[in-house]
Amino acid sequence: MTLALDLAGIALAAAGVAFLLLAALGVWRLPDTLCRLHALTKADTAGLALVAAGTTCLLPSAGGALSLVLCVVLVAISGATIGHLIGRAHQE
Amino acid sequence: MSTAFDILVALGGLACAGIALVAGNRIGSVAAFVIMGFFVALAWVRLGAPDVALAEAAIGAGLTGALLLRSANRLGPVREAGVPIAVHGIAACLSLALAGGIVWAFATGTAEAVYPSLVAARVGESGVSNPVTAVLLNFRAWDTLLEVAVLVVALLLVSGLAPVRIAPAPPSELVLPFLRIVVPVAVLLAGHLLWKGATAPGGAFQAAALLTGGGLALALCGLLGAGRRTGHVLVLAGLGGLALFLAAALGAAILTGGLLDYPAGSAKVWIIAIESALTLSIAAMLVSLFLGPSEGVRDDR
Amino acid sequence: MTAETIYLLSGAGLVGLAFWRLGTSGDVIRRVLALNVLAVGIAMLLLAAAQDPATVDPVPQAFLLTGIVVLVAVTAALLALGERIGGDCDE
Repeated sequence: MTLALDLAGIALAAAGVAFLLLAALGVWRLPDTLCRLHALTKADTAGLALVAAGTTCLLPSAGGALSLVLCVVLVAISGATIGHLIGRAHQE
Repeated sequence: MSTAFDILVALGGLACAGIALVAGNRIGSVAAFVIMGFFVALAWVRLGAPDVALAEAAIGAGLTGALLLRSANRLGPVREAGVPIAVHGIAACLSLALAGGIVWAFATGTAEAVYPSLVAARVGESGVSNPVTAVLLNFRAWDTLLEVAVLVVALLLVSGLAPVRIAPAPPSELVLPFLRIVVPVAVLLAGHLLWKGATAPGGAFQAAALLTGGGLALALCGLLGAGRRTGHVLVLAGLGGLALFLAAALGAAILTGGLLDYPAGSAKVWIIAIESALTLSIAAMLVSLFLGPSEGVRDDR
Repeated sequence: MTAETIYLLSGAGLVGLAFWRLGTSGDVIRRVLALNVLAVGIAMLLLAAAQDPATVDPVPQAFLLTGIVVLVAVTAALLALGERIGGDCDE
């Protein structure tokens, strides 16, 4: 049981890291601001959520999951808002 | 495995510091500095100092980064006079020698650690169980008092210089809902960190950093009030923290005869009261250091 | 190689980098950045020197916490001064 949980955790975290790497690649290689934002905002939030889910599986107790959830929610909200603000500033 | 992680974190921090100090692009160099702050915070967690890591991530990386971005925006692109190559060479040689000397001194020095056992022996009487908070607000509270005085001096200096005040952008549709969630959460978390600081990593400085973040978010959207009154309230709150700390020091001196030597048994009450005042006052001072003095004080140049 | 040695080396590297930049740059923000990097490097050295797996040494940690808050105040003051003189250190 613990082994399955550990494996799931590692797989989820690895998937999250892959998303983050893709986001970094997008910011580096895509041609203009809006394309980069497109790559960054979504892949970043998804990557962090997956890493947090993986970490939750690896935690010794369930108590720490609450702060991870808070972390993911805050990053999702601020990521969306900042993406919106950068997009607006770019249009003006 | 963990050695590989340590090496990665150390190299990442060094690389980001290098980029921050050489990049020709202002935004890029400040961004690299902020990322260096997070690498360093990770390193300090590995070195067993979560209190310092929290403060570095919030204040060292976050708030300093915001200050640098603000000034980068005002000062424009990098202007380098172009130093002769010989100066570069000499500076590089001297810095290398200095770094080598430091490594040699720290690697060969064999000083015995004296503080851990002393602090461990007395932490029971300090009123709190987090040894860092015990040192900051009981054993060496004198240092913390002077640190708040330094903040007040910096605030007075900045008010005297009267920099340009930040003009907030009109908030767009998504910003208000964002603030409605983030600012209350920041206040809640600040209270949590302040209270937890007695027993776990956290405390007045980290809580103040969170409050500052919330305050800056409000101010940058024009919701904190850019008028003269808000500026005065912020400065008064800053001075009030120092005044209360001084009053506590005097009161403790009258009660026990020692400077910041709290009456036995009630140390925790004293520490929590001082920490709460410090949290509010440090946050107020950091917000006004970022925003500049209140309107109307500034003369026309 | 222990964590202590690795971070000792990186702290010394940060101090060296910061001094080199302080000596060769005339730009206000670069100098302030270099000062911040210098402080971080010194903090890293202190923590690495105090590192001991068995016990935590709270005294350097408390000093560094104080130092971080003082440094942000100094940075704000220096930047306000730099904005006032318009960004050139050497004129």
